[in-house]
Amino acid sequence: MNKAKKPHGTSSPIDMEDALARIGGDEDFLRELLELYVEDFTSRFSLLDKAVRGGDLKTVAEIGHTIKGSSANLSLPFLQEQAFELEKAGKTGDLSKARTGLAALGTEFRKLKVYMATRAD
Amino acid sequence: MKILVAEDDRVSLRILEKNIGDWGYDIVVAGNGDQALRKIGDGNVRLAILDWMMPGMNGLEICKHIRQNNGSNYIYIILLTSRDRSQDILEGLEAGADDYMTKPVNFLELRARLKTGWRIVELEDKLLESNRKLKDLASRDSLTSLWNRANIMKFLEENMERCKREKQPVSTIMVDIDEFKRTNDTCGHFAGDIVLIQVAKRLERCLRKYDKIGRYGGDEMLIVLPGCGLKEAGDIAERLRLVVDGEKVNTPAGGLDISITLGCSSSAGFSRPTPETLVQASDAALYRGKKQGKNCVVTG
Repeated sequence: MNKAKKPHGTSSPIDMEDALARIGGDEDFLRELLELYVEDFTSRFSLLDKAVRGGDLKTVAEIGHTIKGSSANLSLPFLQEQAFELEKAGKTGDLSKARTGLAALGTEFRKLKVYMATRAD
Repeated sequence: MKILVAEDDRVSLRILEKNIGDWGYDIVVAGNGDQALRKIGDGNVRLAILDWMMPGMNGLEICKHIRQNNGSNYIYIILLTSRDRSQDILEGLEAGADDYMTKPVNFLELRARLKTGWRIVELEDKLLESNRKLKDLASRDSLTSLWNRANIMKFLEENMERCKREKQPVSTIMVDIDEFKRTNDTCGHFAGDIVLIQVAKRLERCLRKYDKIGRYGGDEMLIVLPGCGLKEAGDIAERLRLVVDGEKVNTPAGGLDISITLGCSSSAGFSRPTPETLVQASDAALYRGKKQGKNCVVTG
């Protein structure tokens, strides 16, 4: 399993250097991808929320896995890590861990949105 | 020739699409397994990058499907997986994948692997092309480039069976070049060869596209006319006779007046026709034509 790589000495939600390297340094394209990510994340998160409330741990694991992959692609290490926690909670059937994981994932996502809003200015 | 990328995560799909497109490949994308199968069905996809985990049919299942329903062209498959346990890799390769990569994709590596895949696909194409050429060569007469005897007889047999099912007749015309031995003796074998080639060309050009002609023996050619009755065969034969008789054949020995005699028969005239009896009947008609003074068409 790929370990989440944390950006050096900063709490930035994205490892910019790593993300840009994957797409040939195209910053506009990165912005487009992040918007796509946010859109997909939002719908996945509500499904995840529903699954946690309904105790559907199989779905929790599946969506956790998908978000983990998507986050890794954009070098979002904290989101990747939290998504992985949820995937593990789903797989081991640990509902209380899934609940805290969901909240932590939401927090990381808000940090990303704040970061994006700041960058856009 | 296209590369298919099947991946349900839109971010990942966009990155793959952009990079692969930038490398100059023609690319089609699919957001799930079912879409991927449809795009493969459209043809032209020669290399597929399939995500293992997808809703609907997953990458592994698509891989198996491609290998089981193997079309005429080989599709090189790279499986993408976030798994890197050797058991999963083995399962992927056993399902028919040629290569695998773990996610997130290292694009330098992907580019190199695509090159390898492409090279294999191109090699496969070259191999198929030379196989096709060899097969074609083996089925033709080397002098006239007409089908050889075995091939024209096979065509006759297949069409007699098909036409029998469809309750249609099949006709054959046996063609022989008049005085061919004398042409060879007086003008030389080289001129004789040219006569043979030119006559074959004229006859072939005159036929409908579903009719076939083959070299049957020395200067004998057999024409098979599927779905054609005796009367129609006779009309076609007369047209062929005129196309040869109407114009001199140019050879190094000068322009030669060449004629042909044609014998026609049809399966409708037999209760249980076989390719052999049909050809024999055409041959007998041809023989009668030769006796009648050559440069003519005899039917029956």
